[in-house]
Formats: sequence, C-alpha cells, structure tokens
Amino acid sequence: MNQQIDDNLRRVYDDAAREPVPERFTKLLEQLRQQEQKPCAPDSDTSPEDDDQ
Amino acid sequence: MTDSADPREELIEHLPAMRAFAMSLTRNSAAADDLVQDTIVKAWGKFDHFQTGTNLRAWLFTILRNTYYSLYRKRRREVEDPDGEMAGAMSEKPAHDGHLVMSDFREAFAQLTDEQREVLILVGAEGFSYEDAAEMCGCAVGTIKSRTNRARKRLAELMHLDEDDSLDMTDAATLAVVQGNPAA
Repeated sequence: MNQQIDDNLRRVYDDAAREPVPERFTKLLEQLRQQEQKPCAPDSDTSPEDDDQ
Repeated sequence: MTDSADPREELIEHLPAMRAFAMSLTRNSAAADDLVQDTIVKAWGKFDHFQTGTNLRAWLFTILRNTYYSLYRKRRREVEDPDGEMAGAMSEKPAHDGHLVMSDFREAFAQLTDEQREVLILVGAEGFSYEDAAEMCGCAVGTIKSRTNRARKRLAELMHLDEDDSLDMTDAATLAVVQGNPAA
C-alpha cells in the first residue's frame, strides 16, 4: 500500500512539475542577473517604469 | 572558478519542482508562487554558500521549506494538530461505495499536517533519501522515518483504505492533490 501511495503521489507531483514556468519567474531571474552585473544599480528606485534598452 | 556550470543558471531547471513542492505546502497557487519568488530571491543572495557538486534541488527545497515555516505558516494561523487527530475527527466519512472517489485522496492529503505533506513529497514523490530529507528538515533521520510512516498510515486511514483496496485514480484526481485545487 505504501508503494501505491507513493506511486500516486509521484504521478500527481510529476504532473504538477510539468507545468510551464510562469513568465513572472523568468523575468525575476533576469532582474537578479542584471542587478548582479550592475552592483551600483539604485535599488531605491521606486519608479514603476523600466527603461527599454 | 571551476568549469562547472554556475548554479544560478541551473536554478530555472528546478523551478517546476519548486512550484509543485510549494503548492503541496501552501495548498494555494497564489501563495505557492509568492513562496517560490521569496525562495528564488533568498537563494540568489546565498549562492556563495552553495557548495558546487552538492544537490542543488535539495538546497533550494531547504530554503523553500524554511521560508514557508518561518513566514507563510504563521500567516495562516491554523490550529496546530501534529498528529492529524483533529483533522481526522473533523472529517466526514465519504460515501463508501467500494470505489475510491477521486476527491478522497486530495482531501486526505490536504488534511495531513504540514510536516506530513512535506515528508511525503520529499521522500515519497521526490525520492530523497531519509538522510537527505532529515538534513533538509533539520531533524533526525529517525524522526523522518517515523513521520513518513505515520503520514502514509494517516493517508490510508483518511481514505478508509484497507490493505487490499487499490488506489486507482484518474490523472485529474491525482493532479488535484498536489495542486490543492477544490474539486471541480
């Protein structure tokens, strides 16, 4: 029975883990990378608008 | 620097699993994604501490679950019920027609304690060793073993499963368990 429980858990989990990663996270990673490249970037910048480069 | 890949570049490969793990802890997709976001930001600031060659997923999962227990669980302020006794007493027995209703597994899983859901995902679904899971959860190996056994037993009890009942569910049913979606 433990095996059955684990099999089903794994199926559920694998299905959930096949969902595509939302853009929110790819953007976040991009931001983090950019911050690292520009250590002096003003992090107090509260402007909601980003410059398009 | 070594030739090995920067773990920062590998983080994205673990995001789907992190979301699935976060979903099973929070049982709420919005909270799960907030939790994943917090985890990414924390991890990014701590990558200097990551030892190349060790298990990146385990490292990320550790940050995720620590963030969950330190921030998210407090927000929910639910009644603590370490052994799931109260949840069991509060649950209604599902109509038992000899078939496992798909919602049974989902409901049963959701009634487990945070620690029980966590250990079932880590050991049962992800396949981490008891030793790895113990390290990730900051507790003894024996604790993880007994917690895993109790969680499986509790899940079977909640589903009113006997030894010879089979656990036959649709994909939609099993998907709902980890996603924590209400039955559609």
